[in-house]
Amino acid sequence: MEALLDFARGPLFRLSFAVMALGLLRILIFDLYGAIEAYRRAGDKTMPWNLVMRRSAQWLLPINRAFKNRPAYSLISILFHIGLLLVPIFLFAHIQLWHKVIGISWLSLPKVVADYLTILTIICAVALLIGRVFNHSSSFLSRKQDYLWPLLLSMPFATGYICANVGVSPSVYQLSMMAHVLSGEIAFILIPFTKIAHCVLMPFSQLISTLAWKFPPGTDEDVATTMNKKGAPV
Amino acid sequence: MDRVQSTKLVLWVITGLAAAVGVTRFVFGLGATTNLTDATPWGFWIGFDVMAGVALAGGGFVVTAIFYILRREEFHHLVRPAVLTAFLGYVAVIIGLMFDLGLPWNIWHMIIYWNPHSPLFEVGWCVMLYTTVLLLEFSPVPLEESSHYAMVRSFLMKFRFPLVLLGIMLSTLHQSSLGSLFLIMPFKLNPLWYSNVLPIQFFVSAIALGLMMVSLESLVSHWLYRRKPETHLVAKLSKAAVWVLSTYLGIKLIDMAISGELSTIFAGTWESNLFIFELLLSAIIPIVLFSIPRIRNTPAGQWIGSSMVVFGMILNRIDVGGLTMLGITGDSYFPSWMELSISLGVVSVAALAFLYAIEKFHIWEVRPKHPESDPHAEPIFGHTSEVWLGAPAVAARTKYSLALILSFAIGFALIPQHRTQGEGVVQVTAQKARGGTTLFIDGNRNGYGALFDHAGHADSLKPEVSCATCHHMNLPQDRESGCWECHKSMYSETRAFNHDWHGSPAGGNIACSVCHDVSADREATSAKKCKDCHIDLEPDGSSILVEDYVAGSYADVMHQQCLGCHKKKSTEIADKPDLALCPTCHRTSPPPHMKSDVGMGLAGEYSGSVVLPAPASESVEK
Repeated sequence: MEALLDFARGPLFRLSFAVMALGLLRILIFDLYGAIEAYRRAGDKTMPWNLVMRRSAQWLLPINRAFKNRPAYSLISILFHIGLLLVPIFLFAHIQLWHKVIGISWLSLPKVVADYLTILTIICAVALLIGRVFNHSSSFLSRKQDYLWPLLLSMPFATGYICANVGVSPSVYQLSMMAHVLSGEIAFILIPFTKIAHCVLMPFSQLISTLAWKFPPGTDEDVATTMNKKGAPV
Repeated sequence: MDRVQSTKLVLWVITGLAAAVGVTRFVFGLGATTNLTDATPWGFWIGFDVMAGVALAGGGFVVTAIFYILRREEFHHLVRPAVLTAFLGYVAVIIGLMFDLGLPWNIWHMIIYWNPHSPLFEVGWCVMLYTTVLLLEFSPVPLEESSHYAMVRSFLMKFRFPLVLLGIMLSTLHQSSLGSLFLIMPFKLNPLWYSNVLPIQFFVSAIALGLMMVSLESLVSHWLYRRKPETHLVAKLSKAAVWVLSTYLGIKLIDMAISGELSTIFAGTWESNLFIFELLLSAIIPIVLFSIPRIRNTPAGQWIGSSMVVFGMILNRIDVGGLTMLGITGDSYFPSWMELSISLGVVSVAALAFLYAIEKFHIWEVRPKHPESDPHAEPIFGHTSEVWLGAPAVAARTKYSLALILSFAIGFALIPQHRTQGEGVVQVTAQKARGGTTLFIDGNRNGYGALFDHAGHADSLKPEVSCATCHHMNLPQDRESGCWECHKSMYSETRAFNHDWHGSPAGGNIACSVCHDVSADREATSAKKCKDCHIDLEPDGSSILVEDYVAGSYADVMHQQCLGCHKKKSTEIADKPDLALCPTCHRTSPPPHMKSDVGMGLAGEYSGSVVLPAPASESVEK
């Protein structure tokens, strides 16, 4: 078990972290490169820059139009995001690990705060899942990954809480630590290939969806040709 | 997938692996990634990336010479690919060398700080200049793509012929001086490979390798893009290679006959077998193959012959570059997988750049059809899944980049844990000098040191000096402190101040406030200096000043201590101008009175083992 745990914390962690970091970088580069390409080829090069900036800023703020439509859902979602970001990055035990390997450390959360935030995050994840299942319009729009992500993300939080607080026997500790590390790593690997990629794409989504409607001159004819309707109005 | 795509996919995978290792190399250093040692400081990276890389890129100067100087118009098709290969090859060499050298941001030093006595300096300059020349030679090709640069292009075209001449000249210089690098190590390089004419051998073999590399590159790229191979041109190159290879073989064998090494070829050692293997592969078999017109004129024969020469010559460069030194240094070295992956990765990046240039620019008479070129193409679905990955160009970049990041992640995970936690500098503890009235100063106890006539120095300098001139007196009631007590490490600085001991009951039991001002932060800079308490640390007449808590390395401070005085005395005393030179203290045979005087049997144990050769002039001893 010790050896397995070392493997999970060593090579497997490096693998998953590299996949996450580079994977996010990759999709961000593709997104922006595609946007630049679209603009370069576009027939109409006017851009509503002010509108794009304002909308990007509006959607990045926690209190936005969605908040007015579904206040409870939005509030839970905001709390969930706070816990999700703060706890893993600013947990003292995690910072110690970073310090041991690469010699860099930063400010940490007090343990009590970290504990409450952990519980809050798990509760929020469950609440979001329930909301998704029982709200008709939500469940109509949901894919498999939408149901799986809250569960997968609450795994490392729950197991981490057990490791940090509950006095358990060493074998249970090791098992929950293993589950903690592995579930975290699975999440890392999946992040760039699923909807969690919004953590880097979100700031540019308004820009990209605006540019996506910029077509090269003569696109209509190309579409018609491909559809075997050359000459027909599109 | 077609040939080009699967080749590119493999190249991207190797690149990803190499990138992970490359990051580790620059963060954690050579020790974390290579199997190099002090005895084998030049390993696979030098042998393959640099020595072989420069020779492999020799096709550029060979083909430009054939086309522009010898005016053989039929080789026109080969000029652009050859110059491109050469340019990318040199860039690859430079990148590969950066992994070995480290500190890539210091590369400009060579331009400012000249060392005209060094063959490495010449190679470095030539490679820099020739890479620039190749860039200027090649840049008209990409500049064709846009009419904006027509002026620049026509300007560059005016200098084409001088550039070609300059390129050939620079190549001649550094291809041969790569061999000159090894002229200074006749005792390290195996005699089968060592030769006074190594520079000439390197130059001639670079021509042969250049010819064969251009052939192989033509064969490979035409196979990749399913084009008709340039059999007639390659046959002509092969015919020329027979002559060049015969010259190479002749020079090598005649030189060995003159130096009397011919008999060792069949000595049966691993080196001699390697030598036979290398010579068969790089010269003898290809000469035979290419001398037969029926083999020379078929693609299969060309494939076999040119790959043999390329492989054999790469082996030759690796042999000279370090492999055959192992038998003499007695070191065991085999490149780690990380070294191999960096070398392969550099080659892969160059190959990808080559394929990119082939598709993007006018390298061939007819450009290969670009998959993106047809906007009306029906979407093609992947073979493994039914997901449409987008237009071919988009699908390609999706696949390649995924391969890149996944192989990077796997490479990053494969790096051994202990390697990422660097071992740091190995401390060599300095030990006290031994002897009585004459001391043997040999801090690391390796037998190489200097005999120091302590009594003689004290007697002859009596009125001017006291113990304090050369010694600290740092301990209470100290008459003289041994140098090794604070200068604990042979080659690196150490902290001289033992903070915890001073505060402990076993030590001084000193309260914090004695040294640290209560109103200031408790830091070394704001604390009391050593000499504030140890008042004898710098007594009157002391030549040693103690500024901070750091003690220099033993080797450094001993040299400073002796040399400071010796330099001064060498100008003051008329008949001792050599007093500050190395052999004054480091000698093979100490004078008889010191030998008998040294005591404790040291004279017998260490006589004749002082590091430097005998002094050039005997005047020192008289």
